[in-house]
Amino acid sequence: MVTTIDPENRPFVSEASVSVEIETEGMTLNIGPQHPSTHGVLRLVAKVEGEQIFNVEPVLGYMHRGYEKLAEVRTYPQVTTLVNRIDWVSGFANEIPFMAATEELMEIEVPQRALYIRLILTEMARICSHFVFNGAYPLEIGALTPLFYAMEDRERVLDLIESVTGGRFHPNFNRIGGIKPAAGAGPTTKKDIQDLPIGFYKETQLAMEKILAAADKFEDLVGGNEVFRARTKGVGVLPYDIASSYGVSGPILRASGVKFDLRSTTDYLPYKDLDFEIPIGENGDCYDRWYVRLQEIRESAKLVLQAIDAIPTGPLQTKVPKVIKVPKGEAYVRAENPKGEMGYYVISEGGLGPYRLKIRTASFSNISVLPWILEGVLIPDLLAIMGSFDFVLGDVDR
Amino acid sequence: MNDKMIQPETDSFFDEIANNFTNVSNDYRTIKISIKSSDWVSTITKLKDEHGLIFFSWLSAVDWTNEVVTGEPPKDKVEECFEILCCLSDIEYGNLVIVSTKIDKKNPTIDSLVDVYVGANWHERESYEMFGIIFEGHPDLKKLYLPDHFEGFPLLKSYELLSREVKPWPGEVDVEAMPDDESENKEQRKEE
Repeated sequence: MVTTIDPENRPFVSEASVSVEIETEGMTLNIGPQHPSTHGVLRLVAKVEGEQIFNVEPVLGYMHRGYEKLAEVRTYPQVTTLVNRIDWVSGFANEIPFMAATEELMEIEVPQRALYIRLILTEMARICSHFVFNGAYPLEIGALTPLFYAMEDRERVLDLIESVTGGRFHPNFNRIGGIKPAAGAGPTTKKDIQDLPIGFYKETQLAMEKILAAADKFEDLVGGNEVFRARTKGVGVLPYDIASSYGVSGPILRASGVKFDLRSTTDYLPYKDLDFEIPIGENGDCYDRWYVRLQEIRESAKLVLQAIDAIPTGPLQTKVPKVIKVPKGEAYVRAENPKGEMGYYVISEGGLGPYRLKIRTASFSNISVLPWILEGVLIPDLLAIMGSFDFVLGDVDR
Repeated sequence: MNDKMIQPETDSFFDEIANNFTNVSNDYRTIKISIKSSDWVSTITKLKDEHGLIFFSWLSAVDWTNEVVTGEPPKDKVEECFEILCCLSDIEYGNLVIVSTKIDKKNPTIDSLVDVYVGANWHERESYEMFGIIFEGHPDLKKLYLPDHFEGFPLLKSYELLSREVKPWPGEVDVEAMPDDESENKEQRKEE
């Protein structure tokens, strides 16, 4: 699809036409929907003038699965299966706010040990998500090697998640009032207490030490690369006030210099008992967005190491009724997911399933800023900027 | 508890909101302000300018009705209306407010928030295609997820979920016995 743009009202004159005096016609460039540098199918309709973009319109909906409608015809325990698949790179972390919201409505106190296991697995999911980013982002701007290192290190964490939950990407491990008895922990009889697998703490410790070493390796390999720095520094600068009015959250907001992390302000998991830093960026450019996520890998690994030291003994489940009915009420619980703020607004009418479930996903709001940030950038920078937003289309389209 | 943690000022923040607005509730630690639809933009502007809620979290709607095609209907009689919800937050202490208003289903119109928060743009488009709510003053109110030729508003309670029409969900009937339940039963049978 090519449209001609009135040369009199051309918003940008490309440098080529100034220096070499070649007339460039404005045209509409369709990027996608097949996998334009990212995880899922997003289509961009970009109006370009030479190499410069002056208007971009994302076209969504290729992955729309209608989870909000599907949740209305399911019972509360069945919804967990759905929410796993929203952001499939960090499936476990998606379950937490839904569980917290439902438990808030049912006024259930979850045992500390279950909360700690949730915390450990959530931080592992964050490490997975950030490793995928750390592998995919250099790939998008031309460096192939980091991907292989990233996948190797992510596999260590996925193995640990699998050893506990039995699933790599979609654990479906949380239950209302606690967690499911862990996989691989002895015979499955009701009498034996099923807990974390034998040797889990030692394996985790070894893996986290390797993760910390891998983070250092990535800092040298990617951050020390001259080409990577040139492609990302000063590119795609996002001021914090623009970010917050678009609802951009998570590492992207922190890269713009805002020290705001829901893990430190809300108590959906026992983060207040543990010690961690909130890394922030200075310039809000692509490089900062990469660097904040790299540092978050370290903080998450440290959180896991602290949590396996501090984890209390005790039950994994509170007593809940066999058929779960949630009392009438409305609650919103949000959590700091790898991609940003994820929240569930649960409206219960006292039935077996939610009357309405509003799912607030991070990537949806994060990429709503794309038309603003891509205005006036060059096409090669489009990939650098889009990649730095680290969105998953399942998280955008729900 | 370590010193680095920022303590949420939820209690004092709730007092601040309760003193400045009427119809404020704080059930299940979710602060909710219920307002008239004519005060929609002015209230939200006030929250942004005077109470530091500069982060636009989300906007959505609820279809309140007793005539439900998919899912369970509410047990009590509810007033037929669309409830519009808007969630705002700050980016310092984690204070959060849900603003709610009710509009008539026969005339589902409300002022757009795009001039207050640019981020409302996509959320309003989503509510438009899912519920048919018209946001007046929206710069480009068209479908967001659904194809252009799609008919109907999927999140309305009167909209049938096609997969459930084709094959009804077995629900609780589907629950299979756990393997150890069977073994226990066998043991019991042996004992018997």
